[in-house]
Amino acid sequence: MADVGIGVLRPAPEYNEAIVKKFLIASVFWGVVAFLVGVYIATELTWPSFNLGLSFINFGRLRPVHTSAAIFAFGGCALFATSFHVVQRTCRARLFGGEALANFVFWGYQFFIVMAALSYVMGFSQSQEYAEPEWHIDLWLTVVWVCYAIIFIGTLMKREEPHIYVANWFYLAFILTVAVLHIGNNIDIPISVFSAKSYPVAAGVQNAMIQWWYGHNAVGFFLTAGFLGMMYYFIPKAANRPVYSYRLSVVHFWSLIFLYIWAGPHHLHWTALPDWTQTLGMAFSVMLWMPSWGGMINGLMTLSGAWDKLRTDPSLRFSVTAVGFYGMSTFEGPVMSVRDVNALSHYTDWTIGHVHSGALGWVAFISFGAIYYLVPVLWKRSSLYSTRLVAWHYWIATLGIVFYITSMWVAGIMEGLMWRAYDQFGFLQYSFAESVVAVHPYFVIRLLGGLMFLSGALLMVFNLIMTVRSSSTERAIAPQLAAVAAGE
Amino acid sequence: MDIEPSDFIVGLLMLVFGIVGLILASGAMDDEMYVFGLSLFGFATVFEFGLLRRHFDKAEARRHG
Repeated sequence: MADVGIGVLRPAPEYNEAIVKKFLIASVFWGVVAFLVGVYIATELTWPSFNLGLSFINFGRLRPVHTSAAIFAFGGCALFATSFHVVQRTCRARLFGGEALANFVFWGYQFFIVMAALSYVMGFSQSQEYAEPEWHIDLWLTVVWVCYAIIFIGTLMKREEPHIYVANWFYLAFILTVAVLHIGNNIDIPISVFSAKSYPVAAGVQNAMIQWWYGHNAVGFFLTAGFLGMMYYFIPKAANRPVYSYRLSVVHFWSLIFLYIWAGPHHLHWTALPDWTQTLGMAFSVMLWMPSWGGMINGLMTLSGAWDKLRTDPSLRFSVTAVGFYGMSTFEGPVMSVRDVNALSHYTDWTIGHVHSGALGWVAFISFGAIYYLVPVLWKRSSLYSTRLVAWHYWIATLGIVFYITSMWVAGIMEGLMWRAYDQFGFLQYSFAESVVAVHPYFVIRLLGGLMFLSGALLMVFNLIMTVRSSSTERAIAPQLAAVAAGE
Repeated sequence: MDIEPSDFIVGLLMLVFGIVGLILASGAMDDEMYVFGLSLFGFATVFEFGLLRRHFDKAEARRHG
């Protein structure tokens, strides 16, 4: 690393912004796809005739399209975009590996998304949640992911700044752990190298345990650690304030990554998994309150002295509300991991509500905040086309989430109570079909919430396109530069 | 010709992927593998052309710059 003299101004290297732009556009595109498919499958659940009798659009096949589009396509592309932006800016270094490698990571990842979605609608799946792609697609993703790790780690290694900013720690934990999880959970034997079908090496409860070790840590490291990296860069940037406590951010990092990895067994309460393992998962989940809330406090307190910006900057409002949702869903998760609560909540729509408070409130909102911040910066515009439209997006989306999660809480708790109710003779009081009929109104409300969230995202797309295209957002050129441009 | 190492390595990688895609498609036992193999071949081919295009665009820009 080069020695840096204090007070010496160095020109910034030429950053690879093209790749950040590509991932940002892909993220917005896949976000709309994910929300649209989500709304459609919510319609199918409410009125099953929307299956239209077509196998490739039935709920079972479209559901993984929705989850993969939301997590890996929308969230993943947002993580790629922001991690490449943050690592370059905080390290003062252009991306390692050249343009070709970065382009391969971009197009290779898009190829993975399209191939995975196509395989789901064709009926091919490993039937493991969030790990549905079959072995050949898993192998392809491994290649792309290793290239991503090479670029990110290589950039860190050639940095010109002596310190590695904390956001990069979170991104690095996300990249390395997701690699380990993905490989560990996909050790399968294909029935032939020419067949898409494969079977996992582990069977029975061992397979279930490995799957939920993967599944929960996909939440912990893909949907939490990576997006915390986003929080630690974009909230201070947008608020123009330093992180409230850098020491707390380091404690947050180490405690989060140590605790999260043990929490998976809480997905398998009351199953054939040994009791001690279930208790271990529950205990570590409850301990996760500490780092989660420590991080939330750190994110929120970064606005100390700049709270007024929430009135004037609706994109910062997205980021801050995201941190609030992060706190709420990381409070709810440990509660649901307690075995006796889980006896009521598991297999009900409460879980769906919980997931969406995290996915929409935390993941999508922190991404929207970053996207609204990045688009004017990357496309060299003076500002967003319309902050009023951002405000409309914010309120429509927030209201949509509220409709979604409250309806699912009510539906879920009602389902749990109906399924465990006994009559005076010891028989189950309700049939399963009766519980389905009972939740129908809440499914309609959920659909309305999803539609609102989708509408907000469409407003964002319009606003971003206009930000890039409209002459009203062009940057004013300084008089000297204008004179040079005019040849004077 | 002035070829960047990154272009060269990624180009070779694409060559391998394209051939693997063709082999997978040729022996495919199900629709999924057939579609995947052909798509992989198509992806690799288009990516190779992209590498070529970028290389000559840069060379031309250097000549005129």
